Amino acid sequence: MQRDVGSLPLSPALRARLLSAGFQTAQELLETGPCGLSKEIGISKEEALEALQVVRQECGCDAAKTAGGSGTARKCTALELLEEEQAQGFIITFCSALDNILGGGVQLTKITEICGAPGVGKTQLCMQLAVDVQIPECFGGVAGEAVFIDTEGSFMVDRVADIAAACVQHCQLIAEAHQEEDHLKALETFSLESILSHIYYFRCRDYIELLAQVYLLPDFISEHSKVRLVVIDGIAFPFRHDFEDLSLRTRLLNGLAQQLIIIANDHKSAVVLTNQMTTRFGQSQSMLVPALGESWGHAATVRVIFHWDNTQRLATLYKSPSQKESTIPYNITVSISFGMEIFHLVRSSNCEIMNWSYSCSVSIEVVSQDFTYILQPQGFRDVQPPPLTQNAEGTEMNPRKRPRREEEK
Amino acid sequence: MDWDQFDLNPKVVAALKRGNATWGREMVYPDVTALRSVPSDNELPSSREPAVHKLHERAVESRKALCPTVTQRSVFMKPLSVSADIKSIKEVLNLSGADLQRLMKLSGADVECLLKTVSRALRKSCVLTALQLYQDKDCFSSQRQKLSLGCSVLDDLLKGGIPLVGITELAGESSAGKTQIGLQLCLCVQYPYRYGGLESGKYRPDTFHNCITKRISVLLARGAVRLVVIDSIAALFRCEFGASDSVLKARYLQTFGAQLHGLSSRFRAPIMCINQVTDAMSNAEAAQCGCRNLYCFLYSSAAGRVCPALGITWANQLLMRLMVSRVPQPAPSPGAVSHHPASVRTLRVVFAPHLPPSFCCYTVKLEGVKGMK
Repeated sequence: MQRDVGSLPLSPALRARLLSAGFQTAQELLETGPCGLSKEIGISKEEALEALQVVRQECGCDAAKTAGGSGTARKCTALELLEEEQAQGFIITFCSALDNILGGGVQLTKITEICGAPGVGKTQLCMQLAVDVQIPECFGGVAGEAVFIDTEGSFMVDRVADIAAACVQHCQLIAEAHQEEDHLKALETFSLESILSHIYYFRCRDYIELLAQVYLLPDFISEHSKVRLVVIDGIAFPFRHDFEDLSLRTRLLNGLAQQLIIIANDHKSAVVLTNQMTTRFGQSQSMLVPALGESWGHAATVRVIFHWDNTQRLATLYKSPSQKESTIPYNITVSISFGMEIFHLVRSSNCEIMNWSYSCSVSIEVVSQDFTYILQPQGFRDVQPPPLTQNAEGTEMNPRKRPRREEEK
Repeated sequence: MDWDQFDLNPKVVAALKRGNATWGREMVYPDVTALRSVPSDNELPSSREPAVHKLHERAVESRKALCPTVTQRSVFMKPLSVSADIKSIKEVLNLSGADLQRLMKLSGADVECLLKTVSRALRKSCVLTALQLYQDKDCFSSQRQKLSLGCSVLDDLLKGGIPLVGITELAGESSAGKTQIGLQLCLCVQYPYRYGGLESGKYRPDTFHNCITKRISVLLARGAVRLVVIDSIAALFRCEFGASDSVLKARYLQTFGAQLHGLSSRFRAPIMCINQVTDAMSNAEAAQCGCRNLYCFLYSSAAGRVCPALGITWANQLLMRLMVSRVPQPAPSPGAVSHHPASVRTLRVVFAPHLPPSFCCYTVKLEGVKGMK
């Protein structure tokens, strides 16, 4: 109740009047009452009543926050933050090397930006994540839902269905190997239809629509409380044309970034953005840098740049608060239905098995090697199978990683 | 803009309509009366505590530093007058929440409500789940429908053909068969639906900017035209702009790409841009163009050295990129009589959100473009 009048969400003119009339705390306002207030500062009784309602609401919220311990302006210790961060899971990418450099996967409550030249696999990763976020908890996922905001029209539902089918198949393999009750139970509801029906797709044709959509997102996510991932594919396209006034663009982008941070924090969801690359001319040579300028670089907490090295796709972790800068190779695998050559299939199916063990449990490795001939699942994969020992160590050495249930057995 | 139609607080609507509002700048700077009321140093009662004395001194100094002369002070004090005359949803969304509060003199809660109402009016309810997209049989929103290339082998490669929404690029060296494929698409678009066509006419413009913005949108709006082929996009951009005005060129390409995108998604008409190729100078540049892929090494003798023209700015605008190339091949049998060396034409998928990098060979004959198994 000792809240300062200046911090109340009243109109600036009213605030100025209150302050000049000598009101300092919310408590004083409430004690004065509507009639007194209207006389004191010369506003109508209706206005005074409305203002007092706002004040009462605010104070009510404050009380609730201090009692419940959750809210926007709460205080907490570093230890609490650490515990909270360890408790929340990651969205795995199915490429263990990429997961490793990210510290376990795409983090919830953080903004991750993926930059890259056209055709390098940004949209593929987005679609993969939209599926992976739904993996049930007993399989090491976060059992969430996904919001996909598409500005470029590159969301191909057939491809998503392929990735989803592959993901379901993975989980079935695990369940068969383990024969555990909770696995089988989770699989009953984890199907292609359920995955697809929990990806909410929005198409935004210009930046105005994108801004409007982001303003509406908090309400949407409150209605769909299981949303753990918001993808905007791509953030750059609507902001890179028809902007005469670049300061307006910077302002809008900063506002957008702020909205996204609020969404990520309040709803414990990961926000994934994709960005284009652009050529910057230096004094002696030109180089490729992420688009949207220098100030946008501050928006994302984690920044990954995808690029080509001859025929190999590489991912570089460019900015991260917790992980060191590193570069890893990755592959995007395809299925038999794509009609690829055999050697690709064999090569990447090996990776896939290793990968599987990485993402789900250690104990399954031996069992799942029997399945080297299965239909190739698709999406993000490792280039080579990482050595088993290293894999197991990696999980233990990383303190930020949530211990998986299977490992305890 | 008729703000009354929105479900808004009348107070907010009035604030939106209000012609001129003043910014609250006068609060930021010290006002004249306060400045006058500060006593000068010698007027200060000596009985005051020295600490209070110091504080006063500092206040006077800071005010003097801020407005050294009286005339300057009066300029500072004048409230800035800015029009709050907000006419469209776009203007509302172009302002941040804090700006709106200042401009309209409304509380934070009111502005938040205004932003949400306006956003809702703009977006309506447009959420679709992926399942709806996947199962949707309605041809108007279905992604299933594609424009056939008129050959089953090529259609298999592209999983049915060209997507209806988005810009598809076809790049290749001269005489590789780009124009032939473009012509064949023009023919296919006139087939009935069940044969993979779109049952309508086509329009094949020469590259000209004005034409894109005005004539094509009229034609597309009539529904008579369902395919736009641009042959070739690079020709004009390459001759109009020199090396020095690459920034201007990039901006034109972005605007142009956005306009094509807009047309394509509004009318669900595929856009095929035919592009020329340029020699790749170095690995780094080739990587920029995104033309290096898994299959480049198979064709490193010929295809790896070229990449599509217009650089990364243009590549960013594309949904998918196809490349055609023609590689001379030694004749299979020396006895066979041929007037010119036989060559293999290939169509490659360089990138596409729904296709893996892959390729197939094709031939151009009298009856059209045909893929070979």
